[in-house]
This record gives sequence, structure tokens and C-alpha cells, in this order.
Amino acid sequence: MKQKILANAEIAAIVLIGFIALITGGWSVLILTVVAGALVGAAAPPNRAGVLRALIVGALTALIIVAVTFLHNAYITQLPKQDAIPVGALQPTTYGLALLLGIVVAVLVAALRAHPNKQRGRTGLLILVLFFAVIFPFFEQSVQLFWANAVIVSMIFTLQALGLNIVAGYAGLLDLGYVAFFAIGGYTIAFLNSPQFNLNVSFWLIIWIAAAAAALFGFILGAPVIPLRGDYLAIVTLGFGEIVPIVFKNLEAVKIHEPVTAIFAALFNKPEWVRCLVGCTEPVNITNGTQGITPIGRPELFGVKFMTGQYIPWYFLILAMLLLSVFFISRLRSSRIGRAWVAMREDELAATSMGVNIVRTKLTAFILGAMFSGFAGAFYGSYVSFISPDAFDFSISVIVLCMVILGGTGSITGVILGGLIIKMSDLLFLDKFQTVLGGVLQATIFQSVKSQAMTNFLESLFNASQYKLLLFGLILVLMMRFRPQGLVPSASEDAIT
Amino acid sequence: MTKLLEVKNVSKIFGGLIAVNAVDFTIEKGMIAGLIGPNGAGKTTLFNNITGVYTPTRGQILIDSQLISGLQPHEIQQRGISRTFQNIRLFGQMSVLENVLVGMHSRLKGTILEAFFRPPRVRQEEKEAAEKALDLLDYVGLGRQIAHQTARNLPYGSQRRLEIARALASDPKLLLLDEPTAGMNPVETADLTDFISRLRRDRGLTVLLIEHDMRVVMGISDRVTVLDHGEKIAEGTPTEVQNDPKVIEAYLGKGAVH
Ligand SMILES: Nc1ncnc2c1ncn2[C@@H]1O[C@H](COP(=O)(O)OP(=O)(O)O)[C@@H](O)[C@H]1O
Ligand SMILES: [Mg+2]
Repeated sequence: MKQKILANAEIAAIVLIGFIALITGGWSVLILTVVAGALVGAAAPPNRAGVLRALIVGALTALIIVAVTFLHNAYITQLPKQDAIPVGALQPTTYGLALLLGIVVAVLVAALRAHPNKQRGRTGLLILVLFFAVIFPFFEQSVQLFWANAVIVSMIFTLQALGLNIVAGYAGLLDLGYVAFFAIGGYTIAFLNSPQFNLNVSFWLIIWIAAAAAALFGFILGAPVIPLRGDYLAIVTLGFGEIVPIVFKNLEAVKIHEPVTAIFAALFNKPEWVRCLVGCTEPVNITNGTQGITPIGRPELFGVKFMTGQYIPWYFLILAMLLLSVFFISRLRSSRIGRAWVAMREDELAATSMGVNIVRTKLTAFILGAMFSGFAGAFYGSYVSFISPDAFDFSISVIVLCMVILGGTGSITGVILGGLIIKMSDLLFLDKFQTVLGGVLQATIFQSVKSQAMTNFLESLFNASQYKLLLFGLILVLMMRFRPQGLVPSASEDAIT
Repeated sequence: MTKLLEVKNVSKIFGGLIAVNAVDFTIEKGMIAGLIGPNGAGKTTLFNNITGVYTPTRGQILIDSQLISGLQPHEIQQRGISRTFQNIRLFGQMSVLENVLVGMHSRLKGTILEAFFRPPRVRQEEKEAAEKALDLLDYVGLGRQIAHQTARNLPYGSQRRLEIARALASDPKLLLLDEPTAGMNPVETADLTDFISRLRRDRGLTVLLIEHDMRVVMGISDRVTVLDHGEKIAEGTPTEVQNDPKVIEAYLGKGAVH
């Protein structure tokens, strides 16, 4: 294994990033070489030899990415129907810079990991990551990459995945309806800050209410089910995930005939407010059904308004939330409660024999996970400014579970990586791929196909975004087969902390 | 001497199988008690009844004269009974240190909010816990330098010792060891036997020891209880038990007397 020049995982990663470079092209080369460099550096063994290895592998990887980007810029942009990339701005110096950055980052990450003082090495890594995280949106905007929206939504989903990681990763509970809590968070902000009820509660208050509401539902759902043995939780959460969006869909003309209001109405001679309170006579539209609720209020901080299209404030807001969550979740993990979660996942009988109250510990994990999802849901609602039942489809539960499994159940770094990879593919890379594929088809097969019906058929057959769920399912199966511990196994992470 | 554990007329029935049949015995404080019997005699099942993994079908179990049968395993652990398992059950993916810290779970107080904000009290508590866990690793002979290794990667003998360290972490009154020398070579077995008698000397711990290897039990036990087919067939000092015809018969059938 050690004698091989490149491990299988490294080859897979290089092929994947190279492929992304091929379909995105343009300025993304700078981002991709940095990301690849960081991965190469992180994969190298933390010692002197590892740094050397990172240098070589990093250079090789960066070279591949640059070459592939060149191919894209030279040929793919010439194909029909391509996005206009301001290629003109790409000078040879850009390629040189990308190459250099990739190598420097690879070596730097490897060196920091090999740092004799582990604490310092970690601080250095954190500063490096933060540095790139901070300059990213400015770079993105100045070269007009149009990645910001995808990155922000990906980060919101990553926030959610970090919560599911508590439930599924740490505590080992299978929650198949995690989207329900996301929906509860989203609708909480939609109710409290939108024209729907003409309410205008402060965003900074709502996020906590949303988290609390999701936690409450987590408790209501978890308390009766978690004490049961076996797979009941998976089944019940699956059902809950289906029911919640349907409930939101149907609460559009609610007419309540219940005695309490009727008595009040009789007592106070039917004053207006009683009637309007629950709508004894008029049906009340609570969720606006499939139409959804819009516009949802935006936050405001130190005079900065977080409006649509203003990606930079949103980016930093979500980044801050992500960092805060990572901070608190890693503290939780290294606390007495976090240890109990993982112990329970590893061996429930041994854990309970060591004094861990299984029911309480599971319930805590379940509720905290729900809370994070509700929290993320509120951000999502406000960012998109539009909430409808369709946004909370079962597929979201699956995608978020995919993120956790791909990254490495129980590993924070892994889940962030998995979250960004999956959601970025979902929102960005697959569409780009579709554009490139469309162009290639146009230039090749479609020219010779005369019938319009045939062209339409082929177009829909080769529609990559149709295969999204298939692709995620495939990722799950392949991961389970070849690397069940995920990209970043949690054991390696525990060893650092 | 005062009674620590009382097992009164305990039976455990699985479907039609009587795994433990009306067993009675008492363990006094500070004693090393042995529980022996051929394979399938019901020793582990009796352990599982004492630790709350199973609820006895009939009978009562008391510790310090308080009824514990019917309680959950974690509640029983909190009353001072700690155990190891016949087939090692460590938290494989956790570090060695964390395995021991889980053993202290019920002795620590940190809540979720405290985990978030880490007030000085919790910092102090965690620091002391880690220090104590490291001391325990030294004490059981593993050494604190392996604290950050992943438990699953330890050699077999070390895993057994780690399980004992984890069980000791809660400062139990009574330690239950289920075949701690199973799978060990004679040298390791002798080491571990020494270690068990040291446990009582250093810590005043009461130990209940399951063994199928008669020699181990005979060397260190004050009293030995013999089970066969779920029933107690003999009880007494090691010499008494060794010469009991019923015991010889039970064991000879399995060819275990050397
Ligand atoms: N959970 C269970 N369900 C059914 N039978 C069991 C269970 N646990 C143990 N037994 C049976 O009880 C008997 C005693 O087992 P055990 O206590 O493991 O014996 P020992 O530890 O003395 O070797 C065996 O016949 C075993 O098959
Ligand atoms: Mg046994």
C-alpha cells in the first residue's frame, strides 16, 4: 500500500476534481487548485516525508487541473450553447498563479499537519482555511464566477448536515425524515416575518424560536419512539418527514368548529376578535398551500441589509453560523454527553452498563439534531425569501444523509466536506455538466439527427439533472462498498482532539 | 463482615430453558468470590441478571440491602456495580482515554449547556477526570502513553485490561469480571490473577469473578460458588469445593479437571 505512488482514494479525488475543472473551466481553476492542494496536504501522512509527498502530488494535481482548464477554455467554450465565461481575462499568469497556489497550499497544509506542536499546527490550519474562506466571495464576485448562491445554499445545508451528524453520526440513530425539522424552521420564519400574518418579528429572535420549535417537535416525536427497540425510529421519522410538508400544504383553508370559541363568542356576544382569532366562520389560510409564503423578512445587522443578490453579507453571515456550530458541536462531542453518544453508537449494552442512560442520551441527540435543522431552516427561509411545501421533499432527507455518509459519519471535517461536495454538485456542477454535455451533443450527434422529436428525446435522455437522485444513491452504495467510514473517518479526527 | 450483594432465589427462564434456577448466594464486603461452572452453566446469565441486562424471572437481588432487580443497567451501575464482558465490549472507535472516561459517565455532572460554555467547574471536572483516567491506565498496566490510540487497535490482552480500567473508573463497590483470562496465555493469566488480588489490597474492592479455568479461581478466591445447568451445586472455600464429588462430576463430564 505504501509503495504505491498514489493511493486509490487520491486517484479518485484527482479524477473527480479534474472532471469538475473540465466542466467549469475559466476562473474556477484558482479555486479548484487551492481545494485540491488542501486535500492533498490533508491526505499526506503528518511527517517530513508527507510534506515532500504533498509537494509532488500537489504539483501533479495542480498541473492536471490547469491543463484540463486550459482544454476547457480552448475547446469547450467554442461549443454551442455554452455559458459566457470571461476567458479573455485569463492570462498565462493566471494559470501560473493557480499552479503555484495549489502547490503552496498542499505543502503548507502538510507542513502544518506535521507541526511538532499539534495545537499550533491546528491553529495554523484554521487560519489558512479562514483566509481562503474570507477572500473567496470577493474573488468570486470580481471574476463573475456566479458560484456564490450555490455556495451559500450549500453552507446552509451543511449546517443541517452537521445537525444530522449528531443524530446519525454520533448517536447512531437513523433519522429518515430529518427534512421535517428543516421545514418547521422554515415555516416558523415564514409565519413570523412575512405578509402572511403581517408579522415582523426580528430575524435574530426568530432563529432561536425556529430552533426551539424544531426541538419541541423533536421531543414530541422522539419521546414515545426512542424508548422502543429496533428500527421504529427510522420508520416513524420517515413518516414524519412525509407528513410535515403535507400538513403545511393543506393548512390553507382551515375552518375550526370547536366549542371553546363558540362559548366565548356566545358570552361576549360574538365580538370581532373572537371570530377572527381562529376563524369560526371564515376559513383561515395559514400556510398558503402549494403557493407557499413570500417574501420572507431579511435580517439586518449594523446597518447592513441582507437583500437578495447581496451575496457577500449573506456569505459571511452563514459562514459565521457554520463556524459557531462547528465550535459548539465539537465542544459537545468532547464533553461527557458527546462521549456517551459515541459510546452508545459503538456498543449500546456496554454503554448502559457503564452508567449511560440510553433513552435520555438518545433523546438528547435527537432533539439537538432537530434543533440544528430548525435553525438551518430559518436561515434557508430568509435567504431564499420563499417557502413552499415542495422545498421540503423527502429527497432532502436523503441528500443530507448522503452528506453525512459521504463525508464520514461522526467526523465534523468530513461532514463539511461531504455537505459542500454534494450540494455544490446538486446546485452547480451537475448543471454545468449539463451545459457542456449539451454543447458536445449539439456539436456531434444532434447535427446528424434530422427529426425534432428525436432531438427532444435525446435531449431529455441526456439531462443530467434528472439523474441527481440516482447519482446520490450510487454514491451511497459505492461508499458503503468501498469506504464505509467516509472520506474523513471519525477515528482519525478523534486522534487529533 | 457485612453483606454487599445478596442473590435470593433468582431464576431466569428463556422460553422453555431454565438458564438460572433458584440460585442463592451472598457476597461479603472485601471478598473475592469465584463463580465457576462448565460452559452453558448460566454464569453469564446470572451476571446479566445482577447488572440489569436481564430482569430475573423470579427472585430478588439486593446490594447494601437495597433491592436492585428490575432496575435499568445504568441505574444499577450508579449503585456501585461495575462489570466487564466475556467477549470484550469496548467502544472500538473511541480512544483508549475516552473509553475510560465513559466509565466515569455517572460520576461526572456536566450538562449540555455546560458542554457548550465550559464554565470553570466543568473544565476542572474534565481535567480531573482525564488525570484520573490516565492514572487508571497506569494502574492496570497499560501505561498512559497509549491514551490516544484507538481502542480497537490494541492487542487482545490490552483490550481486556482496558475493559477493567473502564469498569474501575466509576469507583465501584463491586466489580464483576466475566472470564477475564479467557484467551490469554499462562503468563498473561498469572499476571492478571495477581492484578485481581492487588485490586482488593489497594482499593478494598469486592470482586465477583467468573472463570472456567478452575486454577485461577482456586488461587485467589475466598469463596467459590459452582453452577451447573443453572443450579448451584456447591459452595464453600476453594478446597471444599475442589473436593466436592458433585463438582468433580460436573467438571469431569466436560473433562476440565487436570
Ligand atoms: N438471551 C438468551 N436467550 C436464550 N437463551 C440464552 C440467552 N442467554 C443465554 N442463554 C442460554 O442460557 C444458558 C446459559 O448461558 P450462559 O449464562 O452464557 O452460560 P455460561 O456463561 O455459564 O457459559 C445457555 O444454554 C445459553 O444458551
Ligand atoms: Mg459465559
